[in-house]
Amino acid sequence: MQLKNKGTVATALAGAACALLGTPAVQAEEEMLKDWKFDTAILYYGETDRVSLAEGVISATKTNDDDSLFNVKLVIDTLTGASANGAVAQPYAQTFSRPSGKDGYVVKPGETPLDDTFRDTRVQLSGSWMQPFADTWRGTGAVNFSREYDYMSLGVSGLLEKDLFMRNTTLSAGLSFQFDSIDPVGGKPMTMTSMLTPTYNEADDLFDWDDDYEEGENKDGSDSKTTTDLILGVTQVINRRMLMQFNYGLSVVDGYMTDPYKLVSVVDSSGITQDVIYEGRPDSRTKHSFFWQTKYALDNGVVDVSYRYATDDWEIDSHTIDSRFRFNLGDNNYIQPHLRYYQQSAADFYRPFLNQSDATPMYASADYRVGEMTAYTVGLKYGHKMENGHEWAVRAEYYQQDPKNAGFDEPGALADLDLYPSVKAVILQFNYHF
Amino acid sequence: MTVNQGNTAATEASSAAAFSIHPKDGFFLGAFEAMASPCEILIDTSDPLLARHITELACREAQRIEAKYSRYRQDSVISVINQSAGSQVAIDDETYRLLSFADTCYQLSDGMFDITSGVLGRAWKFDGSDNVPQAQAIKALLSHTGWQRVAVTAQSITLPAGMQLDLGGIGKEYAVDRVAGMLAAQIEGVSVVVNFGGDIQVTCRRQHDKPWFIGIENPLKTEQGETLVKIFQGGLATSGDARRFLLKEGKRYSHILNPKTGYPVENPPRSVTVAADTCTQAGLLSTLAMLQGKDAEAFLAGQGVTHWVYR
Amino acid sequence: MKRKLVGILVLMGVTQLSGCASLGVQPWERDLLAKDEMALGAEGVDLGLDDHIYFSKEATSGGRSFAGGGCGCN
Repeated sequence: MQLKNKGTVATALAGAACALLGTPAVQAEEEMLKDWKFDTAILYYGETDRVSLAEGVISATKTNDDDSLFNVKLVIDTLTGASANGAVAQPYAQTFSRPSGKDGYVVKPGETPLDDTFRDTRVQLSGSWMQPFADTWRGTGAVNFSREYDYMSLGVSGLLEKDLFMRNTTLSAGLSFQFDSIDPVGGKPMTMTSMLTPTYNEADDLFDWDDDYEEGENKDGSDSKTTTDLILGVTQVINRRMLMQFNYGLSVVDGYMTDPYKLVSVVDSSGITQDVIYEGRPDSRTKHSFFWQTKYALDNGVVDVSYRYATDDWEIDSHTIDSRFRFNLGDNNYIQPHLRYYQQSAADFYRPFLNQSDATPMYASADYRVGEMTAYTVGLKYGHKMENGHEWAVRAEYYQQDPKNAGFDEPGALADLDLYPSVKAVILQFNYHF
Repeated sequence: MTVNQGNTAATEASSAAAFSIHPKDGFFLGAFEAMASPCEILIDTSDPLLARHITELACREAQRIEAKYSRYRQDSVISVINQSAGSQVAIDDETYRLLSFADTCYQLSDGMFDITSGVLGRAWKFDGSDNVPQAQAIKALLSHTGWQRVAVTAQSITLPAGMQLDLGGIGKEYAVDRVAGMLAAQIEGVSVVVNFGGDIQVTCRRQHDKPWFIGIENPLKTEQGETLVKIFQGGLATSGDARRFLLKEGKRYSHILNPKTGYPVENPPRSVTVAADTCTQAGLLSTLAMLQGKDAEAFLAGQGVTHWVYR
Repeated sequence: MKRKLVGILVLMGVTQLSGCASLGVQPWERDLLAKDEMALGAEGVDLGLDDHIYFSKEATSGGRSFAGGGCGCN
């Protein structure tokens, strides 16, 4: 048999049912709760000539008959490739020792020194329980654990939410506590002290250290940090199409925040490296963030725009604008462009390099990630809902970071070198929901 | 608050209605039997008197509709029509509206939904055995079907001799919507779930905009029991062929019969659940989807309604 | 006189803005807001993956939710 055109049966039946019952109907709103819902994704992140990351996520959620929600999430990622070690490029080849202290690597003249030692696998497991109570309250408790070769992290958090004015306003308050420990490969280096560099013997492709290396570098042991986060938020329904969220976040970090694998070059007045030292960062940081997000329902899509302003006592201020525009193509397909712009100022201890003539400061880092920079992301996502209710989506994005000179003079040889190379990355992702 | 603590059930027994009410976590459950189904009424109140009143109203209305339209009751309107032997029978307005609705369904489905096709069931015994009937038997029964042969006016119906009406395909959903409509009109602002054996209508939203959670039978996991549905408002209905089929030479014959051929529809889903504004609408859409056999999913996708299909 | 009028207008504006009567919807007007894609945490997996990337490549994290840590990538 061939039924009439699309949708007309349902429409005609609605009219017939109305004639039969004589009462106007309320609009149906319901969902079938499967025992478990699964969200899975694989992501590839690859930088040109630098690190690449492959990440897999499985998230499983169960809704119980009191509307409580249980979620477990497993994330596994592996990182390979090279990342900037912080030292400046030089007009001649430079030799560095690897973190283990057992080997070295040579960087070609004029190139940004990249350490290609990194190869790590991270496993992260987290679980949360959301419980509604007393009609208008919700409480959420969560734990997470993450482990990689040289790093371990353990966290607990709690969130309390209260609905007001017929659920048009929601107030939330959350607290999180995170303990991280790091056990650097080769030991934790003493900050702001020289890295002993080997001599590269090209003939037999071996790295030789001076005799005093036997006495050992100032590298020893492990360290840790704690992070305490507070979040206060308001979510407000504006009208039938729009809702808005505003969050204030306070984050206090205490402990070891230095990157044990990052270096700072000490140069003379002609820009030639005289020494390479291990970086050092302050052991406390207090951050404030102000986050605003709004979502607007179009007839055939959603506009999602957020802005974040963050400031901290390292004097890093940042502005982030993130926007997604979803366009539904019929009932079962959508495309979603993504645009993100990010801008940060440099930390007060950021130094692209140190001048030999100056006194060694207490803290210094040449890591471009705490320097001045802008970054943008452009991306496109396509999603499809299948007849069996499963959904898949693909996402492709381009991410570029443009570090900037935060007003440092570049003496001698450095003036001719690119000290702030851009980092370009592609992101590819596949999602499957069932 | 005057709610009985614990799970003590207050049972009302009278000649008209036999129902019980049970206090639950934040609401009351009223229960009774009607139309060969367990009937449940969930009432968003902590007032046992209101819960009892609502349940009694629901029970009375369900029993009224059952008495009027069940073909198993000798004195029902349907039985009178079925025994009319070709003569004209006077009908009231409610009956006319039900028959008009059945007519609309017949037209919309090009004859696949036909309330005169019940007699075909005499040939088929869906007991899991291999008793597939003879072709002649089916052909003989087909001559006693066909809604287009029934004459209906606003005041009367003439059913040709040998034919039978069966409102089984719409009666229960109609009862659910009637009860829900009556409760919504009489007791304003209290959210009530009317659930007659899985055919469901929610009158309006609960206080604090909370959802209702209702278990419905899932044919794929009868051992584990039910699938949970989160529902704020609207109707929900399920059609299925759980455990009612024939098996012959490896072929599974479902109990969903094609009124045009007299044979079971091929490859129907195990169950179809549809969400729509009214239970009646949801019930018809799920039935029509079953009649589509292997094309059930495509049909529902084209209708733009929320649905769940199990194969 | 003029100042008083401005004062009244400002007061009206403030009451309009702060009065919850002008914001929000009735429960039966939630049809659009109830869509999955209108949830603030929609596409949670994407947001989580993005947070991880930007956490490890930029100096600021959090805002939407906890700034956290949990990875030695910074």
